[in-house]
Amino acid sequence: MKKLIMTLGLALLIAGCNATTPSKPMSLKEQYEAKLAATQAAVEKAASVEGEWRDIRWKKSKKKYLPSAIKAAEAGDYEKALKLLDIAEFQAKMGYQQAMAEKNAGPHLYGM
Amino acid sequence: MKKIVTLLLSAGLVATATQAFSSPQEDLQKFRTYFEQKFPGMKLDDFGNGSYALDESKRIQWESMEEFPPYDEFVDKGREIWEKPFKNGKSFASCFGSDPSKVRVKYPHWDSKTQQVVTLEGDINKCLKENGEKPFGWKKGPIAWLSAFFGYEARGQKINVKIPNDPKALEAYEHGRHFFYAKRGQLNMACADCHVKYPGHFIRGNLLSTALGQTTHFPVYRAKWAKKSKDGDGMGTLHRRYGGCNKQVRARPFKAQSKVYRDLEFFHQYMSNGLTINAPGYRE
Ligand code: HEC
Repeated sequence: MKKLIMTLGLALLIAGCNATTPSKPMSLKEQYEAKLAATQAAVEKAASVEGEWRDIRWKKSKKKYLPSAIKAAEAGDYEKALKLLDIAEFQAKMGYQQAMAEKNAGPHLYGM
Repeated sequence: MKKIVTLLLSAGLVATATQAFSSPQEDLQKFRTYFEQKFPGMKLDDFGNGSYALDESKRIQWESMEEFPPYDEFVDKGREIWEKPFKNGKSFASCFGSDPSKVRVKYPHWDSKTQQVVTLEGDINKCLKENGEKPFGWKKGPIAWLSAFFGYEARGQKINVKIPNDPKALEAYEHGRHFFYAKRGQLNMACADCHVKYPGHFIRGNLLSTALGQTTHFPVYRAKWAKKSKDGDGMGTLHRRYGGCNKQVRARPFKAQSKVYRDLEFFHQYMSNGLTINAPGYRE
């Protein structure tokens, strides 16, 4: 039984790899472009529920992960840009999730 | 585990159901009782003194500040703005009536025509625009001075926000209420965490004030804001403060006079109904 699962797992892994490895790997620039679009969508989604966090793109934030990523990419540093987008996208998703989790927020949760 | 989640969920749903039926009047009553029980014996108007009501030595320092209040010169500037005619010969009195002591107590209010919450600052800029004048910036400077003058003239009157029984008005109120109680930002904290749950406690050296009474003295003169400005002008509006409080939990602040902050103000000022206006105030 255990063996079977392991073999199955291995098979899936291989199949998975095959499925996700394109014949030509994405260039850093392409990865950046895809990630940028995904991040921007995630940020808009968080903002649409009043859940955007401070350091994603607000003009007075010292970090401004999203605009900083775009700057890095413009300077040709796609690796740095991707790292910054990672943070921005994560924060945007968390902000959205947080807003969803807070849908029922109200005085009843504060002993009133 | 699944059971717990379901239980929690259904508890949440029940709570929401009761939420939906609680009227602003009921909310207000529960809010008031909550703080009266948390700080037994405190006089209602004392809640308007913010953290100074909660700490004796801070209060003594503050009272000595109030003897020569640094906001006086800005109230005077506000009075000058009030008295100065526009280029078209009219003045703010053409929008607000001739008695400046009767202005503050009308705000914020629900405007049934435009279906939105109208604030004092919003009407100040509306008046300027209607008279062909350039509107003021939203958070500080002339708008805060004029608003401080209106507040000063209204001292001694009571906050009296009315939430009409109109579905759209109630929606705006509930939006403001939800904003107040919802955790936000990277630090995952709601206004209510700091100003309902933990008033009287210190956070990074600041003594937290109660949400009850928090609007009586706005606009406010803050020593911190005075330090930041070039000319020692520490005046700022309520929405400036909202932005500051959103930022410190690492949430993106909203624009002053955005719908979010106007709705928040509608709820927040309503919760202080019956408290005496003592604007402008001095704060650290
Ligand atoms: C992390 C804690 C925290 C959160 C969350 C927070 N505040 Fe504050 N707030 C403070 C501190 C600290 C001060 C300064 C001390 C005081 O007066 O409470 C303050 C001051 C204020 C004041 C001025 C009080 C006065 O007497 O002048 C207002 C108004 C206010 N907060 C409103 C809000 C609102 C509305 C929210 C939600 C949008 C909020 N705060 C969220 C910490 C917080």
